Amino acid sequence: MVEKRLSKRNRKKLIQPGIYAGVIIVLSLFPLWIKSPYWTHIFILTFIYIIATVSLRTITISGQFPLAHAAFMGIGGYVAAIPSKWFGWSPWLTIPLGAITAMGIGILIGYPFARLRAMYYAMVSLFFGIGVLQVFFVFQRWTNAYHGLTGIPPLLSVTSKVPYYYFFLGLTVVCLSILYRFEFCRIGMTLKAIEQSHLVASSVGINEPRYRVLVLAVGCFFVGLSGGAYAHYVRALSYTSFDLLATLWLFMYVLIGGIGSFAGPIVGTALLVIVPEFLRGMKEFVPYISAAILLIVVFVMPEGLVGLPQLVESWMKKHREKRAVHHAS
Amino acid sequence: MLLEITELTKHYGGLVAVERFNMSVGEGEIVGLIGPNGAGKSTVFNLVTGVLKPTKGKVIFDEKDVTGQKPHVIAELGIGRAFQLNPLFAGFTVFQNVFASFHLRPKSSLLDAFFNTATYRRNEAYISEQSMEILQLLGLDGVKDELAKNLPHGHQKLLGIARALAVKPRLLLLDEPLAGMNSGEIDFTMEAIRKTHRAGVTIVLVEHNMQIMDLCSRVVVVNFGQKIAEGSPSEVRDNEEVVRAYFGGGGCCLV
Repeated sequence: MVEKRLSKRNRKKLIQPGIYAGVIIVLSLFPLWIKSPYWTHIFILTFIYIIATVSLRTITISGQFPLAHAAFMGIGGYVAAIPSKWFGWSPWLTIPLGAITAMGIGILIGYPFARLRAMYYAMVSLFFGIGVLQVFFVFQRWTNAYHGLTGIPPLLSVTSKVPYYYFFLGLTVVCLSILYRFEFCRIGMTLKAIEQSHLVASSVGINEPRYRVLVLAVGCFFVGLSGGAYAHYVRALSYTSFDLLATLWLFMYVLIGGIGSFAGPIVGTALLVIVPEFLRGMKEFVPYISAAILLIVVFVMPEGLVGLPQLVESWMKKHREKRAVHHAS
Repeated sequence: MLLEITELTKHYGGLVAVERFNMSVGEGEIVGLIGPNGAGKSTVFNLVTGVLKPTKGKVIFDEKDVTGQKPHVIAELGIGRAFQLNPLFAGFTVFQNVFASFHLRPKSSLLDAFFNTATYRRNEAYISEQSMEILQLLGLDGVKDELAKNLPHGHQKLLGIARALAVKPRLLLLDEPLAGMNSGEIDFTMEAIRKTHRAGVTIVLVEHNMQIMDLCSRVVVVNFGQKIAEGSPSEVRDNEEVVRAYFGGGGCCLV
């Protein structure tokens, strides 16, 4: 029994890195057989959103559900775009600057936020996100508010999308590796402990506010990074792409993929960014379809899409048992 | 004195939860804190561990004033605590519950943890060894891979004590460690408490179960937030005021 369990665990230990490595290899070969710039573009957007959603899920493991995550993407985006467009700074400098600014603001609001829980946290972070949008609006001289900021200098001076593809693939792998390590060392365990019971966590000496600020800072850094990279790739920003709805979409990606596992937001984002592209004729129905998927996932697969293999396995097992009972009788 | 509580008071608006409560605990004692429901025993624990801030009064631990400190600071100073309603890290296994509770001693820095340095790996190995030792002490080693939420109530209570021990406390506060246990579990838990005490931990416990008085060197009785008696278990048992608090006064037929 013990041996069996061990071997199963070992198998899992081998399967997971195997899957990740396989996905990375397939993705790095992808431009060789798909030459369409359109699809390359869609994949690049998927990479950017994967960084955003995985960083969002990293924050949620501490029990915080910030409804301002897209606003932080916007902070990263605008802080990267504005100096670059108006003052000619290099994108290679402004993208990290955007990420660090997002992190700094994350730390600043993190302390008051660390006193809030559940509904109160959601409300305050929601209004913070709205406030950030207002700030973008106030500085419309630089952000062009309604009209959108266009003509942002490109990150790479190439016309082909393939170099961008490899840049964003590499960036995503690096960011996700960092976030993965962050979650699966003692820091992540402490965050999960806080999520389960802050009362117990503090009774064993865990400094709850400090950890909550830490995870918020890390999450904001990476989403800021994705926002900055987005700005210099798409070369246009509109402040409506960072509103509450954008945050809710990020949450949607996370929930559909599975909030309980690291791969969840990756799967959810890939699915919800790529699949609607096949339904281009009915784009206006995408929110309804996504909502329907979310409902189905929530009711049928509480673990999200990544829980599907396990679910199928347990169904099959049940089925087999039922048949065995039939045969016996 | 390891712990000295003077004139500790907690008011909620007009409601008096604890009023001018005095108590001191010496190194190596087991002190029982008893009293009827709602007497303020758990509130005293919450005030000592920083979950609640006192209205007035002082808590001195190891000659340091710790009044109104944050719970994690109190834990760091060496006060471990098991809860009455026993919240758990429900989604963790029994082992992970204790493992995650080793946050302070040894303490790895964030960077050590992130970069998986030699110090961190050594600490983690040591922690996992220590966690197993604690689980063995409390007889939980057989269920170490079960999810904490799937444990029977008695085991969950023991897990609460195990977690508190992970702080390597000098003073352990146990809030009704025997509540809801069957007699076998009670014997086992009392033995575990005795062993912990022998290992050099001072213990204060709140309990309704009178069996546990046999463990205590001293008993403090609280009613309506005030101390009404103090002494050895047998002294307290014969104290008139205590009897009145528990069974009602004025020639009641129960006694």
